[in-house]
Amino acid sequence: MTIKAGTIRKGMYILFKDIPHFITKTDFMSPGKGSAFMRVKMKNIQTGNTQEFTYKSTESIEQVEVESQKMQFLYKDGENAVFMNPQTYEQAEVSLKLIGERAALLTPEVEIYVMLFEDKPVDVNFPPNLSLKVEYAEEAVAGNTMGTARKMVKLESGFEVAAPIFVKEGDYLVIDTETMTYKSRDNK
Amino acid sequence: MKNWKKLRKNKELLKPFLVREKVVDAIREYFKKEGFHEVDTPLLVQSPGTEPYLEVFESELVTPGFKNKKSYLLTSPELSMKKLLSSGMGSIFTICKSFRNAEGLSSFHNPEFSILEWYHVDADYTDVMNDCENLFLYILNKLELNKDENNKLEYQGVVYDLSTPWERISVSEAFLKYANIKQDEMLDRIKLLEIAKQKGYQVSDQTTWEEAYNQILLNEIEPHLGKDKPTILYDYPASQAALSKKKKADPRFAERFEFFIGGIELGNAFSELTDADEQETRMVEDLKYRKELGKVEYKIDNDFIEALRFGMPKTGGIAVGVDRLVMLFSNSASIKDTLLFPIEDVFDY
Repeated sequence: MTIKAGTIRKGMYILFKDIPHFITKTDFMSPGKGSAFMRVKMKNIQTGNTQEFTYKSTESIEQVEVESQKMQFLYKDGENAVFMNPQTYEQAEVSLKLIGERAALLTPEVEIYVMLFEDKPVDVNFPPNLSLKVEYAEEAVAGNTMGTARKMVKLESGFEVAAPIFVKEGDYLVIDTETMTYKSRDNK
Repeated sequence: MKNWKKLRKNKELLKPFLVREKVVDAIREYFKKEGFHEVDTPLLVQSPGTEPYLEVFESELVTPGFKNKKSYLLTSPELSMKKLLSSGMGSIFTICKSFRNAEGLSSFHNPEFSILEWYHVDADYTDVMNDCENLFLYILNKLELNKDENNKLEYQGVVYDLSTPWERISVSEAFLKYANIKQDEMLDRIKLLEIAKQKGYQVSDQTTWEEAYNQILLNEIEPHLGKDKPTILYDYPASQAALSKKKKADPRFAERFEFFIGGIELGNAFSELTDADEQETRMVEDLKYRKELGKVEYKIDNDFIEALRFGMPKTGGIAVGVDRLVMLFSNSASIKDTLLFPIEDVFDY
């Protein structure tokens, strides 16, 4: 679909030099007489590289339709993560580079959204929170269970996160997938 | 979540606001020490600036016994400041709110923002360049960010050297150095559009010289400016400088500069135009252009033109975004982190 560059918003996918890019940031600019510009920061969905470009706001650009499918994580295979659509059993491989540091939160059967462009996976969307089991935590030292003291604990996915002193092995922790930090204990 | 709620939760977030207070104090101290008078100018006016690309907020002034008057929130205090220059007050500065409508949301824009303007009499834009350098070092020291006395400022993970002199490069030099475009190619619409097309920019019959010039400036030049130390970009094509004096040696250019740190544009300065006739002509053209663009229409500020006719001293002047200055000195990524009430906290979005 053709749109005006002035209407580009964060979260859209557009074609830049014939390659789909994901918009991560937009800044409106009006440096001169009469004309307005849109500076966008975008991620090349094939390489994961980011770049900036400033469009005239009246320029025509191609917005690309990206399909979003709910999929289950199966396993990591070299440079890729393998996902499966639980309805169709179709599998998809997504480059770990594209997933970025959040790949450290993946555990089997975790469900996330895989974004597909022309049937090829190009990105993943995590739910805002994920609940992960604590695989290893040092025993709390008696008398230091209050206040803001923190310790590093290892989660089932292998990811280490700073958590309050009272957290024990076997606890489930809610992790904020945006900031990759401890949010609360999950009392499930 | 609104800022006042965030602040209740996390006192750490208060830091940029405390920096704002200190930056504003430092600015006042600096200019008073330099012999400038601080002045107060109206925010509600009958005739705001005529810049065609700026959109205004409209209101109505109601006075019992008189006809209602259309009124506008100013886009910059420039016209009032220049009337005071004609009054013979000498060098002056102000820190006030300014308002620009329809600019969209971004990390660098808020419709209501704080502006610092100063006017240095018996001076030109090169004196204002020196003022900028000295002011920034003064703020750095006042904020106790210069304990090592090496004039370094860290912003978003990059260290900038604020020592004088800053890098100074003309627009023509920058086009050649960063975009490989020669001066005569830059100034000529047909040549510039041809080059823009070759570089892969979208060019049509409607594309103006100004659009191509700015798109190249924004994409290929600005990202290089203010990399390790601030950069002053000076001598703009004359059409890009509505209120500035043309260069005597080459009237195709005007005595205007902008300065940048880390790709952020922080201020815009001129050797101020003092010729009343030329100013009036340019403003009439601007208003005509505003009409073509469908922008809000208003009358020219005749009081300002009259002030110029009485005579304004030779002056260098500048407008600096105070919020952006606070972003820089508080190491904040977004203007929203420096405003207690960003627009999203005031209106429902």
